[in-house]
Amino acid sequence: MFSTITGLVLAFQEAGGGEGGGEEESSTFLVTPDVGLMLWTILAFTAALFVLRKYAFPPIVEALDKRQRAIEESIDTAASTKAEADELLAEYRERLKEARVQAEEIVSRARTAGQATEKEAAAAGQAKREELLEQARKDIQAETARAIGEIRSEVANLTVAATEKVTRKTLTAEDQKRLVEEALSELDFTALSGGRNN
Amino acid sequence: MTRRLAVLATPLLLTLLTPALALGAEEGSGAGDAFKPQNEFKLEPWVNLPGPFDINRAVFYLFIATVLTIGAFMYVAKRMQARPNRVQTVVELAYTLMRDNIAGGNMDRRMAAKWFPFIAALFLFIWFSNMIGYIPLPTNTEHKVDIAGLEIPSFAIYAATANLSVPLVLTLMVWIAYHVEGFRAKGVVGFYKGLVPAGVEGPAKGPIFLIELISDFVRIVSLSVRLFANILAGHLLILFMGGGLVVLLNLGFAGSLVLGLVTFPIAAGFFLFEIGLVATLQAFIFSTLTAIYLGGAVAEDH
Repeated sequence: MFSTITGLVLAFQEAGGGEGGGEEESSTFLVTPDVGLMLWTILAFTAALFVLRKYAFPPIVEALDKRQRAIEESIDTAASTKAEADELLAEYRERLKEARVQAEEIVSRARTAGQATEKEAAAAGQAKREELLEQARKDIQAETARAIGEIRSEVANLTVAATEKVTRKTLTAEDQKRLVEEALSELDFTALSGGRNN
Repeated sequence: MTRRLAVLATPLLLTLLTPALALGAEEGSGAGDAFKPQNEFKLEPWVNLPGPFDINRAVFYLFIATVLTIGAFMYVAKRMQARPNRVQTVVELAYTLMRDNIAGGNMDRRMAAKWFPFIAALFLFIWFSNMIGYIPLPTNTEHKVDIAGLEIPSFAIYAATANLSVPLVLTLMVWIAYHVEGFRAKGVVGFYKGLVPAGVEGPAKGPIFLIELISDFVRIVSLSVRLFANILAGHLLILFMGGGLVVLLNLGFAGSLVLGLVTFPIAAGFFLFEIGLVATLQAFIFSTLTAIYLGGAVAEDH
């Protein structure tokens, strides 16, 4: 394998040297592999590789991984905190919505109740008024009836007295009474009650 | 902002000074040799060690890259905090880019976890190698500057990845790694059968297999040369524009002045382009292709 490489290199070297012409001898060292330098390269590179691999890379990897973990953790924490907050917010919104619905319900209920109460009160008022009116009407009728009765008897008495004065004759009380009653029954007293008890 | 510009401009100015200093040194020494730009990349052994282990400029840059890669990440790793400061944020950004885009984006979870350290180390090692390549350092031993009797190498920009050997050996590691993973996942025969794309039937399978096999080997060249050539080309462009052309063409005082004034902003532009884009992009491409090759080696459908 190595001879192949050397061969390839030599071919390259010849190709390069061809252009140089006379300088061929002085410039071939540029492309001639130097065994000593190659060995030194192996040593130097191997030393670098060994030290980097054993002492330099592990702490770097560790620190990077640690930071990576920390970042992932904080992202996770942030995500969970956000989820929690979102949940809380949703809950609050829900609760707020419920509260609003409840408030509306309460208000509407109150309004209904108020209306009902108002209506009831109005109805009660109406009833009371009607009752009072009815009472008043009854009172008036009763008073009217009483007044008519009183007037009637007063008219009868007056009539008797008047008749007595006119005739100078006293009818027997019974005749008198009968006559007046007969006359009175022919009279219409309805006009006195104002036609209201018809 | 002005401070940042000053910080950026300083290395640039030093870069621009380099060829002039080199030329001065050359003329001063009276050698009279022609200036050879490629020699900016020549490797001279600094410390002789047994076997091939001589320490040279490229090895020095590898050391710096290794120390910076390890140092920067150890520094941050020891100080990881839950609340990151700016440096940590940048490192974390780089880390997640490597883990999620480069490794994670091109391989399944298991493979990504297994190969992430390798791919990340590749990315960082190449990135630091590329980036320090744009800081002028006193490493040019070909040209020395005499300062108070001390011979100090002249400042120059250079990169370990501008040597073919460095990307090549990294590429070989990748190549072997993805073959081993492929063999483990599908068996040797299964892996090579998998080279033929799904849907190719009948006699077409033969030549396609051959092409795919060649392309598998060519990956060694393409992966390594892409990085090497990009960095080398960047450095050469900065070198030529930042004074190299002036020295080479030697147009006399007026000509050199005009040429220098024209090439100076081009050099600045290339410098910013290289340091701002190419250095990172090439490290990214190298490690991403590594991840793609490793992912492709074990994937069910090739």
